[in-house]
Amino acid sequence: MNVAVFRSMAPVFPKMASPVRSACCVVLAAVVVVYAQRHSQQDSHVQYERVGADVTMKCGSMDWDAAVTWTANGTDIDESHLNGSYLILKNVGLSQSGQYFCYEGSSWHLKYQTNLRVGTPPKEPVLMCRSNNYPKGFYCSWHLPTPTYIPNFFNISVIHGTKDMVCEKDSPPKNRCHIKYLQLFSTVKYKVTLTVTNALGKNFTTLTFDEFAIVKPDPPESVVAKPVPNNPRRLEVSWQNPSSWPDPESFPLKFFLRYRPLILDQWQHVELSDGTSHTITDAYAGKEYIIQVAAKDSDIGTWSDWSVAVHATPWTEEPKHLTTEAQITETTSVSTSSFMAPPTTKICDKGAMVGSGAMAVCWTAGLVVAAYSVLFI
Amino acid sequence: SQACDSWGIFTFLCAALCNLPALPALNCSEELGAGQSIQQTYDLTRYLEHQLRTLAGTYLNYLGPPFNEPDFNPPRMARAERVPSATVDLDLWRGLTDNARLAANYRAYSRLLCYLRVLDGQVGTAELRHRLSHFCASLQGLVLSIGGVMSSLGYPLPAGPVGPPGPPGASAAPNDFLKKMDDFWLLKELQTWLWRSAKDFNRLKKKVPPAVVTLRLEARGF
Repeated sequence: MNVAVFRSMAPVFPKMASPVRSACCVVLAAVVVVYAQRHSQQDSHVQYERVGADVTMKCGSMDWDAAVTWTANGTDIDESHLNGSYLILKNVGLSQSGQYFCYEGSSWHLKYQTNLRVGTPPKEPVLMCRSNNYPKGFYCSWHLPTPTYIPNFFNISVIHGTKDMVCEKDSPPKNRCHIKYLQLFSTVKYKVTLTVTNALGKNFTTLTFDEFAIVKPDPPESVVAKPVPNNPRRLEVSWQNPSSWPDPESFPLKFFLRYRPLILDQWQHVELSDGTSHTITDAYAGKEYIIQVAAKDSDIGTWSDWSVAVHATPWTEEPKHLTTEAQITETTSVSTSSFMAPPTTKICDKGAMVGSGAMAVCWTAGLVVAAYSVLFI
Repeated sequence: SQACDSWGIFTFLCAALCNLPALPALNCSEELGAGQSIQQTYDLTRYLEHQLRTLAGTYLNYLGPPFNEPDFNPPRMARAERVPSATVDLDLWRGLTDNARLAANYRAYSRLLCYLRVLDGQVGTAELRHRLSHFCASLQGLVLSIGGVMSSLGYPLPAGPVGPPGPPGASAAPNDFLKKMDDFWLLKELQTWLWRSAKDFNRLKKKVPPAVVTLRLEARGF
């Protein structure tokens, strides 16, 4: 009926003055809103059901033997699902979530409306607590191992001995909260309990830990690796303390560096008790290296995750191209033979330089001559 | 951890050799300089912390459940307050003067040593007695080392009761379970103090110019 009114008014509109036109629009809008509200007041709510459950929906206050039509998300539901005026849904699945309407048979009056949400009760949540800013405090973060498909509410409680502590929730991300330490070097453990609740059930998990056990810094930042000019086997690595670590003066960090050439799988490791730089002196000439650093409080807690990996290649004299074993040997023989006494080089020149075998002979000969010269000088 | 053990034993031997006779201990640390003895004391606390882990494991197993359960988290009773606590307000800890910091450590370990010695006399198995007496000797070394640092910096050694405070009769636990609780808290406080001391001595290291020892361990492959 309202539609008919609107249609009849349409040709009249262009002829009206604009304030009158706006007034008409406002009145129409108000009517639409009231219309919608009136309908929403009809028995409508959200209904939560478990996956696999059998659901029976009653059409509001209608009798069992009344003639009704049910729709789900706009589609009519077949009569086979009805028991009188009740809608029976067996073994509901996630796909059956949606808006269900029940209309009286002949008049098509909406008698009942519900928003069916199919989901599961929460499984035991996963909780993790960590102090990456010791001694300021710690944070806890959590998540559900599997989705429930319906809204969940989390509640976290932290108990320290007899004291209840408040864990302040972070705004983004919301599954995280942080706590400030009031006392340091505590012998009493912290007990953190996370409870998750939804319309179908609840679950919880607890973590109990010592102040020292959860200390784990963030990885070192700004890791930089540079070649060292005129040193084909060196790489200079430097990094910075993680910015989240508040007091490296009183709570110094120690570091673990690992490096390997890209072509090999085995890492080499160096542990450094202080300082934020290190020079690698045994890199293979001309090979690209991958380098990472981790940090740990020098006395307590666990190692951080590895830092972002950096790549670097040691300094080479010529532009880098295919580097074979023979070329590496030649480079080392060139640098070592320059230290040999003149008599030795004559011995080396006699033989042909056909590879590492001849090199070894030269080197041994050189040593023998050097030893004799030392004895007789 | 094997490398750690050898390093620890080596450091302890050094500290022990310097500290064994009480009077020459002061001369020894004065010769080395305050910086070196702070580093030494720091290393000693690390060594002791490492030793305590093994000792505590064995001792708690000897006490039996629930004391040897990892989640055991009993409330702190008034009795346990007699053992000196390392727990301190963060700002207060930061603001401690060098003297106060050292004195707190000295007093704590002197008292803890006394309690440990009492324990040593009562313990059942030979293995435990052996471990405890070894630990007590190391702890004595730590007390002397701290005393050495204080003297070299010109601070007076804190005066105080040599034995556990209060009349001997009152300190005995009324029953076996409470006695075990006392032992549990003693070990817990000792462990916490060793963690705290590492931080205390870190702070002291920064204040007194030290001879920094850079520990480098190169291990190939993993």
